[in-house]
Amino acid sequence: MAFRTIDDLEHALRGADYLPDRGLSTALFLALALEKPLLLEGEAGVGKTEAAKSLATCLGARLIRLQCYEGLDVAHAVYEWNYPRQLLHIRAAQEGTVSEDELFGPEFLIRRPLLEAIDSEEPVVLLIDEIDRADEEFEAFLLEVLSDFQITIPELGTIRSRRRPAVILTSNRTRELHDALKRRALFHWIGHPSIEREIEIVRLRVPGIPERLAAEAAAFVRELRGLDLAKPPGVAETIDWAMALNALGRQEIDAEVVEQTLGSVLKYREDIEEVRDETLARLVDAARATAR
Amino acid sequence: MATGDPIVRHVVTFGRVLREVGLEVGPGRVIDGLRALDAVDLTRQEDVYFALRQTLVSRQDELDLFDRAFLAWFLRAPVIPPQRLVKPVPQLQRLADTLADKGSGEEVGGDDPLELGASGQELLREKDFGEMSADEFRRVRRLMLEIARRRPQRSSRRRTADPRGELLDMRRMIRKSLRTGGDAVDRAFRTRKRVPRKLVVLCDVSGSMDSYARALLLFLHAVVGSGSGVEAFAFGTRLSRLTPDLGTRDPEAALEKCTAAVVDWGSGTRIGASLKEFNDTWGKRALSRGAVVVVVSDGWEREDPALVGREMAKIGRAAYAVVWVNPLKGNPEYQPLAGGMRAALPHVDRFLAGHNLRSLEELAAVLAGIERRHAA
Repeated sequence: MAFRTIDDLEHALRGADYLPDRGLSTALFLALALEKPLLLEGEAGVGKTEAAKSLATCLGARLIRLQCYEGLDVAHAVYEWNYPRQLLHIRAAQEGTVSEDELFGPEFLIRRPLLEAIDSEEPVVLLIDEIDRADEEFEAFLLEVLSDFQITIPELGTIRSRRRPAVILTSNRTRELHDALKRRALFHWIGHPSIEREIEIVRLRVPGIPERLAAEAAAFVRELRGLDLAKPPGVAETIDWAMALNALGRQEIDAEVVEQTLGSVLKYREDIEEVRDETLARLVDAARATAR
Repeated sequence: MATGDPIVRHVVTFGRVLREVGLEVGPGRVIDGLRALDAVDLTRQEDVYFALRQTLVSRQDELDLFDRAFLAWFLRAPVIPPQRLVKPVPQLQRLADTLADKGSGEEVGGDDPLELGASGQELLREKDFGEMSADEFRRVRRLMLEIARRRPQRSSRRRTADPRGELLDMRRMIRKSLRTGGDAVDRAFRTRKRVPRKLVVLCDVSGSMDSYARALLLFLHAVVGSGSGVEAFAFGTRLSRLTPDLGTRDPEAALEKCTAAVVDWGSGTRIGASLKEFNDTWGKRALSRGAVVVVVSDGWEREDPALVGREMAKIGRAAYAVVWVNPLKGNPEYQPLAGGMRAALPHVDRFLAGHNLRSLEELAAVLAGIERRHAA
């Protein structure tokens, strides 16, 4: 185990430019300590994927990412045979006396993320991103892999992991995951960060941003989250927006500049319309008051 | 940690407390919880809290219950102990009773619609649900099951072997070609699998829909039973999710559960507010994206019809197609004059009646062959 205490891990994550709150540090720490997969859920843009990347960085481990989508199957998640090479190989052996064993050997195997992670010699963080997008058949298969950490290829036999990868699953909850999978994993819900933390994150991610501007941007985004929006902005949007404001050379926000740059915080037309005019001026005032 | 350890006793009992408030905390989770506590600093309250929360709870909507139980149990805080919500006693009990086969001798075959004779069955098809007796109602049950099986379909990205398919199945082809020296004499094909399209049904159970609610609930039960990818909600003044309750195989038990789950049977209608609740909690989780959304309601909005329009527009943008089923439309004189109905119609792809079995058949046919109105 690379870290003795939660504080150690938190310190290392900060070193990797990631500012977790105590809950997330605890979750990542326990995932390592108990050798259990960690399921991260939360609104879009709260840093679920980023958490896995930063964990890999501070463990000095390789990050292997499996992006899920509907129809994701073994050929794209685990392995696939290299058909063009196989065909060429058959051709090259003039007489056509190629045996099946030869053709389905390791040199014709294309290794996809899950096999890579299981078969890796070096330490690995396996990120299974947006698992809710994969279909239930794949989820069932994944459950098997995550319980035994082994993969069977009919032509080659069973491959077992020598060192368990740290596994982070993320979900946007577009559908409920299977109970069996949830039972196998630790669960952490990432909420929006506190305003102090968000200011800290902005200052870390947007080097050189004036302190006042960072505080006002974070406070304004927090005001936005209090409204009834189709898609409330996440931390990722706050960072984007703060970058835009900083690039414009602003020291603080006002209604005009917010109006001009609103598109980097709000991504839906109806949300932007909701916030125009008097609402916008009111929010700017509130944010400036909070940041003072 | 030994079983006599006070921490073990504490956590085991806490697990029991959580089970009592309705969380599913099995022994496996309790063991994980103990292992987690072993790994963190027990003097830091925050760490103990997260260690237990992350091992014992796996759903966001259970966090609140957990928090309250944690406060009450570990911190002895003066909070109201969490209690499982005691649901008001079923007004629908009557319905569950009429649906139950018990004691009425129906098992002998009386509920087989085919035994009604052709003309009897035809009459039953046309009869308004609102006017049916419990007995007639039982008879239409089986017909409903059949109707519910016809679901909208879409092609999946998953592929399956199919000799008439259009995509080459390389793996099988290479294997076959070994026999012919590498020449692909036999080609193998795959095709995209057809799977049921997501279906979301929002059913109005307010007072004005009372006489139809029982039939429609029964229909919902049959639809949910038709396979995965169906979500059912009921609304009056607020929204209740019925999917887990309708999942019970036995219709009687399912309806009993639904009755308990819906807080406002036969109340007033706040269609707009209910649709908004749906969009905010479920629409945001992309439940309606790419789905066929069916709203069953008479469109009598007690509050601002404009809200109905706005929320229907949101549903329309996310959904593959939107169907509105209005039992009143069964009456040939009917005109969609109710404010809520008028506001909703521009965002509705198909507007159908739902007052009798015949109209449900029509609904099933529409669902099975539904096409997208708008591209994108």
